[in-house]
Amino acid sequence: MTDPYEVLNVSSAATDEEVKKAYRDLARKYHPDNYHDNPLADLAQEKMKEINAAYDAIQKERSGRGTSSGGYAQQSYGGYQYQQREAGSPAFLQVRMAINRNDLGMAEQLLDRMDDHNGEWNFLKGTICYRRGWVDEARRYYQTACQMEPGSAEYRQALNFVENSGAGYRPEGYETFSTGCGGDNVCGRLACFYLMCNLCGCGGMRFFWC
Amino acid sequence: MFGYVRPSPAHLTEEDQRRFGGAYCGLCRVLGERYGQAARFILNYDFTFLAILLWPCREEEETLRRGCIAHPLGKRDYYPGNRALELAADESVILAWWQLRDALSDPGGGKGKYRAASLALGSAYRRASQRRPDFDRITRERLAMLRELEEARCPSLDRPADAFAGLLAAAAEGVEDPVKRRVLEQLLYHLGRWVYLVDAADDLEKDFASGSYNPLICRFSLERGELTEEARESLVVSLDHSIRLMAAAYELWDFGAWSPIIRAVVYEGLFHVGRAVLEGTFQAGGISFRAAGRNKEQL
Repeated sequence: MTDPYEVLNVSSAATDEEVKKAYRDLARKYHPDNYHDNPLADLAQEKMKEINAAYDAIQKERSGRGTSSGGYAQQSYGGYQYQQREAGSPAFLQVRMAINRNDLGMAEQLLDRMDDHNGEWNFLKGTICYRRGWVDEARRYYQTACQMEPGSAEYRQALNFVENSGAGYRPEGYETFSTGCGGDNVCGRLACFYLMCNLCGCGGMRFFWC
Repeated sequence: MFGYVRPSPAHLTEEDQRRFGGAYCGLCRVLGERYGQAARFILNYDFTFLAILLWPCREEEETLRRGCIAHPLGKRDYYPGNRALELAADESVILAWWQLRDALSDPGGGKGKYRAASLALGSAYRRASQRRPDFDRITRERLAMLRELEEARCPSLDRPADAFAGLLAAAAEGVEDPVKRRVLEQLLYHLGRWVYLVDAADDLEKDFASGSYNPLICRFSLERGELTEEARESLVVSLDHSIRLMAAAYELWDFGAWSPIIRAVVYEGLFHVGRAVLEGTFQAGGISFRAAGRNKEQL
């Protein structure tokens, strides 16, 4: 078996706190929330399993009592199962199954044969676009779905996920950035960054665009 | 490819900068060795980044140091040729060639520089297409697809971006490890999308003035050569999310010593460049890692 400390990227002399921090950071990184409808979700799930197993092994070894860490680990792992879609109306069951098999062509064919373009139809159409990486069209279908059925948590969650990219994982030392100006103080900080850049104009800074 | 991909320097150590510079100079040398001095003018950061992504796991890591034809003062560190640099060199020649042909077939004047470049690149392209027939075929197919969508004035952002993104994703086809290949296909697909959309934003004013196709004009029914607030917001969502998907893919493979550089691209550098393009302050060629090397020597 792989060395659990190696999996968590900490030394075997690390304190319990350090181990926990390393585990939390990795668990945030590979959390199902970051791989929602992502074609690579299975790889992230594998990573999550490895990390959970490593953390459990260390906990067991250190406590000597053989108890599992529970909590985050169990919850995270369960999260991937959630990606199996909730049951919608029976008419769309086949479409959802095709999407889960990643047979997007079939899912699209089934949708195109339907006349009633209701909220769920738009949501599923958006999901197909999203899985292909077509973010702009996915967002538009999700928006329509949310307008038609404002009460659906599933549609709202999908739309939020596309629109709030800043909520995703970021490594330590990296702040939340957006190509546009966000609601927080990112712009102010950036202005400051440019200014410092221009002022010092030396070494590491200079080779960027100042 | 257009030179938009840049790591954010704030997160790079001196060693990371030296590595990036080494890959850049290495690619330049491989281009020169394989295709003659004239081919070196197509070098850009995007292809350096491609070479870094494709870098074999256990490749010789030592850089060499030699004088450089473009920079007669002082010597530069560079990585000697390897499979990744050769692949990136071959693919950049093929892509540069077809983009030149595309520019030449576009109606309108002012093609002198394209013709000259096309002439200089002709024999290089013939060699590159023999070395990478599959990539050459996919490039032709994808650019033909793009041409068709342009002629139809396609009002979708995603369709033309997909045509270009698929081309870049094809660069991962030769990767042996199946996990790395899947990770790179995703990463390169979204990189291609991002590059295509950022380039469309960069060219918006020019395209509007000349009446050329630009997906942003058609998608948002723009009546002027600039983005409306609403259009800008939509574009930002697309750009941000594609970067997020690049980062999510990146985290699923261990890129070894190149990790800090890739991280500085997908968690920050691309946001900076995208923002500069949207604000009209982006300067192509204004940034240089070679300048960084020079600074280091001066210091």
